[in-house]
Amino acid sequence: MGPPVADPAPKAAAKRKRQENGDSSKKRRKSAGGDDDAAESPKARIQKLEAEIQESRKHYNNIVALIELAQRHRADPKTALPASEALCRIFIRLLAAGTLVKRKDVSEKDATVTGWLRDRLGDYRGSLLSMFRSQELASNALVLAMALLKAEAQHLTDHGEAVFPRYFFADILASLLESPVEHIRDEFSEKFVDEYDDIRFYTFEALKGYLTDREDDVGADVKNTIFDMLLSIEDVPESADDLEDFFVEPPQKKKKHPLRSLSQHKKQAQEAWLAFMHLGLSKEQRKKVLEVMAVSIAPWFTQPELLMDFLTDCYNTGGSISLLALSGVFYLIQERNLDYPEFFTKLYSLLDADMLHSKHRSRFFRLLDTFLGSSHLPAVMVASFIKRLARLALNAPPSAIVVILPWFYNLFKKHPLTTFMMHRVPRTKEEKALQESEGVEDPFLPEEKDPMETNAIDSCLWEIVQLQSHYHPNVATITKIISEQFTKQAYSLEDFLDHSYGSLLEAEMSKEVKKAPVVEYMIPKRIFTKAEPTSEETNSLLVSLWDFGSS
Amino acid sequence: MAGSQLKRLKASLHDQGIIGPQQSKKQKRKNAEELRAKPEKRLQRGEALASIREQFNPFQFKTNARGPKFDVTTNKPAGDRAAMGIKGRPGLAKAVGEERRRQTLLVEMQRRNKVGGLIDRRFGEDDPNLSVEDKMIERYTREQMRNHKKSSMFDLEDDDERMGGLTHMGRPLFDDDEDAAPPKDDFDEEDLPSGDESDSSRAERRRLKRQRLEEEAEDQEEEDEQPERKKTKKEIYEEIIAKSKQHKFERQQAKDEDNELREELDKAMPELQALLFQRHPQTAKDGKETRDSILIAGKEKTAVDKDYDIRVKQLAADTRAQPAERTKTEEETAEEESNRLKELEEKRLRRMRGEADESDEEEEEEENERGRGKGKKKKGDAEDGAFDPFNAEEDDDQFGLGKGVPSKGVKYQPTATELGFDDEDDFLIEDDLVASGSELEFDSDDMEGEESDEDAASGAESDDDEFVKEILTEAVTKDAVFQIAGKTKKNDENGIPYTFPCPQTHEEMLQIFEGFEVTKLPVAVQRIRALYHPKLDSKNKERLGKFSQVLVQHVAYLGDNFEPHWFPTLEHLTRHIHSLAKSFPIEVARAYRAHIQVIEQERPLSLTVGDLIILTAVGTTFPTSDHFHQVVTPAMLAIARFLGQKIPQQLSDYAIGTYLAILALQYQQFSKRYVPEMMNFCLNTLCSLANEKSLEQLGFFPIHEPVAGVRVKGASKTAVRQLNCADCQPGQSLSREDEASLKVAIISTTTAILKAAAETWHKLPAFHETFLPALLVLQHLASKPNAAHLPAALSATLKDTTSLLARLLQLARLARRPLELHHHKPLAIRTYVPKFEDSFDPTKHYDLDRERAELAKLRAEHKRERKGAVRELRKDAAFMQRENLRVKKQRDEAYEKKYKRLVAEIQGEEGKAANEYAREKEARKRKAAKGKW
Repeated sequence: MGPPVADPAPKAAAKRKRQENGDSSKKRRKSAGGDDDAAESPKARIQKLEAEIQESRKHYNNIVALIELAQRHRADPKTALPASEALCRIFIRLLAAGTLVKRKDVSEKDATVTGWLRDRLGDYRGSLLSMFRSQELASNALVLAMALLKAEAQHLTDHGEAVFPRYFFADILASLLESPVEHIRDEFSEKFVDEYDDIRFYTFEALKGYLTDREDDVGADVKNTIFDMLLSIEDVPESADDLEDFFVEPPQKKKKHPLRSLSQHKKQAQEAWLAFMHLGLSKEQRKKVLEVMAVSIAPWFTQPELLMDFLTDCYNTGGSISLLALSGVFYLIQERNLDYPEFFTKLYSLLDADMLHSKHRSRFFRLLDTFLGSSHLPAVMVASFIKRLARLALNAPPSAIVVILPWFYNLFKKHPLTTFMMHRVPRTKEEKALQESEGVEDPFLPEEKDPMETNAIDSCLWEIVQLQSHYHPNVATITKIISEQFTKQAYSLEDFLDHSYGSLLEAEMSKEVKKAPVVEYMIPKRIFTKAEPTSEETNSLLVSLWDFGSS
Repeated sequence: MAGSQLKRLKASLHDQGIIGPQQSKKQKRKNAEELRAKPEKRLQRGEALASIREQFNPFQFKTNARGPKFDVTTNKPAGDRAAMGIKGRPGLAKAVGEERRRQTLLVEMQRRNKVGGLIDRRFGEDDPNLSVEDKMIERYTREQMRNHKKSSMFDLEDDDERMGGLTHMGRPLFDDDEDAAPPKDDFDEEDLPSGDESDSSRAERRRLKRQRLEEEAEDQEEEDEQPERKKTKKEIYEEIIAKSKQHKFERQQAKDEDNELREELDKAMPELQALLFQRHPQTAKDGKETRDSILIAGKEKTAVDKDYDIRVKQLAADTRAQPAERTKTEEETAEEESNRLKELEEKRLRRMRGEADESDEEEEEEENERGRGKGKKKKGDAEDGAFDPFNAEEDDDQFGLGKGVPSKGVKYQPTATELGFDDEDDFLIEDDLVASGSELEFDSDDMEGEESDEDAASGAESDDDEFVKEILTEAVTKDAVFQIAGKTKKNDENGIPYTFPCPQTHEEMLQIFEGFEVTKLPVAVQRIRALYHPKLDSKNKERLGKFSQVLVQHVAYLGDNFEPHWFPTLEHLTRHIHSLAKSFPIEVARAYRAHIQVIEQERPLSLTVGDLIILTAVGTTFPTSDHFHQVVTPAMLAIARFLGQKIPQQLSDYAIGTYLAILALQYQQFSKRYVPEMMNFCLNTLCSLANEKSLEQLGFFPIHEPVAGVRVKGASKTAVRQLNCADCQPGQSLSREDEASLKVAIISTTTAILKAAAETWHKLPAFHETFLPALLVLQHLASKPNAAHLPAALSATLKDTTSLLARLLQLARLARRPLELHHHKPLAIRTYVPKFEDSFDPTKHYDLDRERAELAKLRAEHKRERKGAVRELRKDAAFMQRENLRVKKQRDEAYEKKYKRLVAEIQGEEGKAANEYAREKEARKRKAAKGKW
């Protein structure tokens, strides 16, 4: 036991020195506070205990004392932290020295010591994990736990190769998930999961294990945290070559180690996600999942088909969930050759009253633009989409109208047959006479579900012409593009998406008033008061409909 | 072309017929005769020879060595010189150059180092080719030509003289118009004994004269017979000359008369001036003038002139010298006013269509100009009766000159009669044309004054005018009190102080008006505006600008803490802001925009009553019909944002939304623009308040499920009332009855809004689509399960509105036509033919940089010129060398000749001597031989 201990001694001494310095400064601060001895003694004691352990095996019992100190973190966090730091150093040294490795060729006494030490290690782990719940100590505890994990992986077994201590890791993760401290999870994903491929791998594994073990016992909070954690794991590796950052170096000999295989990584992720989804999602979670589906979930899946049911279910739900599911469904159609029957009918049904008011509007339009991008679609169907959106535009906010119009323009350009909706000259005299006498009934069937049957192609876009006199000048101007000559090749939709009342107002407000605005030349006689009943004056709309209390 | 050059020459000579076979003497003679008879033949011959010469000299022409570039472009034979294109004639050019040099350079050379001499410039003196006669003729014609043009235009005297100067004994040499000469001359001539003339010649002349007279008589007879004898040119000219002389004389006469008259006037000037300035009571000047007249009589000229100049300047500067506007009749002023309004209306329409954007600036200027002009005119009219119209023209002068105005010293206190008249006048116009209705009655006099001011402001565009009037009326109504009040803080009978500090921030304003009754605020504001009128101090403009902004803030503040009886006050304040906005449009606009910005950033979806008041004020102060307006557009957006995004949580939200819906509709009353959010909000409100939820979808508007307790229930006994601003305050706890009445009020107001909206927008092309949901919603509301919970009166209105909507929808369906938006002229396909340079020259540089191109051009020209100059100089040098050589050769030759001659002479002499010697010797020999013999 002697020689291996001697090796880290200088380092330890240095550390001690540093610690002493730290202590002295603390001491000074403390003395200013007034209670020296009470605070000083535990630190000094910890140092003493640590030093003794290093000196000889005889003092191994000090470990117990230290563990006790560490376990009392709730009562005395200030002592618990240095104690657990000291313990960490001790155990890492012991591990490095191989003291904790069970060997068959050693004496029984040594084996007992090893066993005892292993038990203490277990205690220490427990105390570390319990520290995760403490607001102040959590992040330190996490760092210590991970350091311990690394040391264990390298030295705990006899093999000379690192073996990832899965159980310890699973425990760490479980305590992380159950800890009330939010920021350590962020820290964990930032410092470890994002950085190291193997940690990510084992995180997925541990999460899956956690979920499958507990199934229904998982609380809503924990579920949320798991969800957040899963969401935060983003960067999907492109190829096996990207897998090179490891926390614990995996064995070099075996080429087929799962850590080095991309498909294994993906499989872990997929399983974790599936296990999570298996538990059922709340509406919010579902929305969130759908939102990031195409970007950060589906790429993890080696078999995205597994998502098919989930997505089609969501897609059929209707409302904003459908809108969100659309991108996932599209991903499957595009990547996995999913055959979605009556896709366009379904798409058409998504154009309901709330669609243009939804905050996922621009997202939807991006997709819609992709779906209807082909020039081989039947003009009848495209016309249905145009007419339906035109109807919706009658009740839409300006920011939505602004998107629709350029898109219409592009469709008109692509499907010249639909331009009859803007320009329809009566072909015969009789027809004209009929129109003169009876007017025109709109042939469009708004209730029809099938976009091929709505007769929209025979209709006209009166709605858009009405919007040419929209109250917002820019909207009115954009709406006029359909009655101008179609000289432009196409509008870039991106320029028109992502507007809102706020941004429109901001645009107006950012212009400084330089030129004197026109002032109404006539000062009205009445604004709030009612006109004398005998006079010829007429009340304004406001006065006639609102009671201003005067008369 | 075979054979040698010589042979070819012979052949071509032969062809041309210049040489031919030997001719007999007879033929030769004949030919010679022909030649003499027809000189052109000789010419032909010369031509032919020249062409042959040309043809045989290969260096005569410079041609394109390889012939024409494109054979097809010419139909001449390929080998022909003409076809190849003659580019230059080096031989000829050389000869010309040589000749020129000989004329210039050679002369110079010969004159070199020679000094002095006489140059004879007489014509033809050194031309040996001219004969003496030719010389004389030429000299004579030259002299004639020199004298031909008259030297002076106004030279009256030499008109009838002969142009030519050559006379003989005082008589013209070539008298070719003797017959035109007056007979008297002849007679004189006849009588004059002339020693030179022989008797015979006199007899001869007499005879000739008789003959002439006879002829004249004959002519006369002929003239009698045919009166239109054609005049000779000479006669015509003479007539013209005579006429012009007469005119000249007449002009001269007239001028003289004028001069006389002027002199007379000059003498009478003092009296006239006295007459002109009669109205000025300037006795002193009169005295001076009399002295002036004396002086003029005494011919003290410089002083008079100076005085006269001063007078003229005075007259020009006098305002009375400017033309006055005619006094307008009432009809005319009315017409003018209506025209002005029409113009403003047209401008508004143009802005509504969004057309005035580019020319806005100028127009505005124009408007101001016009407005000012109008104001002036009006003023002139109004005050016409009171005092001198000249002085009223210019506002500044009115006070500055002060001559016509009776009260001289007091600047801002014209008499009350003028002003009263003025105001009344404006007031009448206002009432007739602008608005229809009577004034509100106010208890205090100031109020009335203020009212009329406002009217004046709305009538007249000119801000200056408005404010001046305001001050004036103010001053009149308060007269002396006003002046004193400035110093001693007095209050009037209502307890309102006469003076206020001008608040520059809202805090100041609040401080000043702390404890001040809100209803009296308009008076205070009006006094502040008068006290801080921009005319009174240069800083006042800025102050009032700030004050107008503060006023906007204060209106919002009052709105937030409103009391029902404050609304007339708020209205007055708003109108004050409006009238201030005419002079401070930017400041007021900024204040409103700042408020809207605050709304947007702090409470976009929870508006206060103050915000509502401000939005209403925006709608009245600025033209809401404009396509774009810096204030109205953001305000409209703010309204739409609330209507579109607010999901009502309580009844007050519905009330606020209803107010904004009314406002939105009122904004668009004139321009009839569509506001989707308003429809959405109204329909959603009705759906939310209905007792039962509609089972089927009523339209494409978004429906928000209402909060519990919003749906109307059991309100059948509630009276229908109007909404008021108190309903808009959130978080109030209402009793059940109050709540029900509020709900009913909201429903009834919303229904009324829908009705008004349908009436406003019934011309829109998609009216059917827009209002069909409204009809469905109203029907749903009027249906049994819902109507049971509503008061009967409301149900009746609902039914009425429903039937109205149904009728309008039916009309809209009938009026609908298919769209025909694209009756555009077909667009021409864009051509992509490159733009060709017509005369492209590959050697030329088509530099786009103009300066550089010009520089390059200049440089090239310089180079070319330089080369040319060098070449010329070389040629000159060669020429000089040649000449020198020639001269030298000549000299040498002469020398040689002389030498040879001398040698020959000597030799001859020698030979002679030798011969003599030989002869002598021979003789001697013979003698000797003889002697011997």
